[in-house]
Amino acid sequence: MSKYTTNELMAVAASHLLQDKQNVVVGIGLPQIATILAQNTHAPNLSIIYEHGVVNPQPIDMGVGIADPRLWYQADYFTSFVGALGCLLQKGLVDVGFLGGLQVDQYGNLNSTLVKTDNGFKHYTGSGGAGDIATYSKNIFVMMRHEKRKIVDTVDFITSVGYYKGKTSREDIGLPACNSVKIITNLCVLGFSKADKKIQIDSIHPGVSLEEVKENTGASFLIPVKPRVTEEPSKEEIELLENQIDPDHQYI
Amino acid sequence: MSNKVIELTEAVREIPQDGAEVALGGFAIIRNPIAFANEMIRQKKKNLKLYAVLGSMDTDLLVGANCVSFLAYSGGSLDRFGRLGRINESIERNTIEVEEYSGLSISLRFLAGSLGMPFVPTKTLLGTDMLNNLQNKKSDAIKVIDSPFSDNDKIVALKAINPDFAVIHAQMADEKGNVIIEGPRWDLELALSAKKLFVTVEKIVSNKYIKKYPEKVSIPSISTYKVIEVPYGAFPSSVYNCYDYYSKLLKEYAKANMDAFQFNKFLQKYILNSKDHSDFLLKTCTLDELLNLKVDPHYGYPIGLRGKQNE
Repeated sequence: MSKYTTNELMAVAASHLLQDKQNVVVGIGLPQIATILAQNTHAPNLSIIYEHGVVNPQPIDMGVGIADPRLWYQADYFTSFVGALGCLLQKGLVDVGFLGGLQVDQYGNLNSTLVKTDNGFKHYTGSGGAGDIATYSKNIFVMMRHEKRKIVDTVDFITSVGYYKGKTSREDIGLPACNSVKIITNLCVLGFSKADKKIQIDSIHPGVSLEEVKENTGASFLIPVKPRVTEEPSKEEIELLENQIDPDHQYI
Repeated sequence: MSNKVIELTEAVREIPQDGAEVALGGFAIIRNPIAFANEMIRQKKKNLKLYAVLGSMDTDLLVGANCVSFLAYSGGSLDRFGRLGRINESIERNTIEVEEYSGLSISLRFLAGSLGMPFVPTKTLLGTDMLNNLQNKKSDAIKVIDSPFSDNDKIVALKAINPDFAVIHAQMADEKGNVIIEGPRWDLELALSAKKLFVTVEKIVSNKYIKKYPEKVSIPSISTYKVIEVPYGAFPSSVYNCYDYYSKLLKEYAKANMDAFQFNKFLQKYILNSKDHSDFLLKTCTLDELLNLKVDPHYGYPIGLRGKQNE
């Protein structure tokens, strides 16, 4: 066992969920790190897409967002918004869409738009491509901090649809089916039950107790009889992360 | 050969003073048509109906300067630097009319406009509160319909947008209006949908250069209304292959725009007090700082010490 940070564990856990030859829409931060790690380990033929029209960059410098040309370095292809989110995403070519957000609910719906307050609401970033990515990606991976106010029964605003109201409701309102929604937090990996599509624990990170997960979750969730423990990062993965992928430790 | 080059002040004077419909091409902190937006603020445009794929500093400035009565966009930010504080507050206080989309859905409205199609069918927005809000506001831009081709299949019909004007900032164009956009072109559908497209560019190149590289032209002269040469016209946002974003001013703006009083001070100090874009540059940075933003031609962004100085 090697020493690692929680962010490194999250990046590795997300990386393990990715498969070779998948097409992945990512944003900046841990999703980007996880995807590059997968490319450097078990998924060398994985493709990266940014929503505003960048395909398969191989950045060597970290930037402040996908609007930073540092993240476009050595791209294979530049296109338009419709070229990326239309011709690639809407056509059904995207296997995994990474998303973040202010809140996620018990059916995997995400809010990145606003949070209700005592006298109204506070408006934040909004959708950008997030709503589209949730609509058309075959799998939705969410990376976020595990906090009571962030994992809730009902989100204040549905920006991106997960399983909508559970069961078959997503398909019933006319949306394409979604194979899986996974939420990778600093405490555990959450998934959704097969029939009801209700939030459940997939695995708990090493050293984290079930009580700790319960205390920090604002939604009721299903607990398997014997929750798995999240696989630990290997020495090789940690070395790649620390020496090659994020040497300045901006995200790990 | 028709020459479409005009001066910035002259171009902005073509935008009606009250109620003009304008689409802006910025994306977070890159290729924002800042020089054009600032000049619209100086000329005191009112009740603008703004459209953008993603809200950026240009949009936030215009909203903060009380130039806007309607905004359709898909959200936005200043990336890591911060939020679009003026837009967010306008939504919270309901002081302007806002239609919120997803990035693809508003881009598809521009695409339909660019293709001369009346509307475009899609699945995106279904189940979202963006759709609920648009329907509750009885927006005429969106209808959920049954598919004409299969049973029990819900489709979102998005009405085309053909804005009276679009403004984008690009690396170069020739005098005829053949435009070269380097890097991703999130603003292409928006640009092509406009009735009149203004393009501010870093530099005007010869038609000989265009004819040497016609495959690099994203927008043909036929689709361009006017070309305006404004070096550093997107500053403090960045232009790929030209210059980096200017962190110092973006940080200052990201603080100022969280509060109307601070924003107004920023507006007065840097925009209203400057007579043109060159003056704006002089008021916001030193010549050394400006030159330090220059990119390495291989990377498309500044490297080494230069890149680090701007962190």
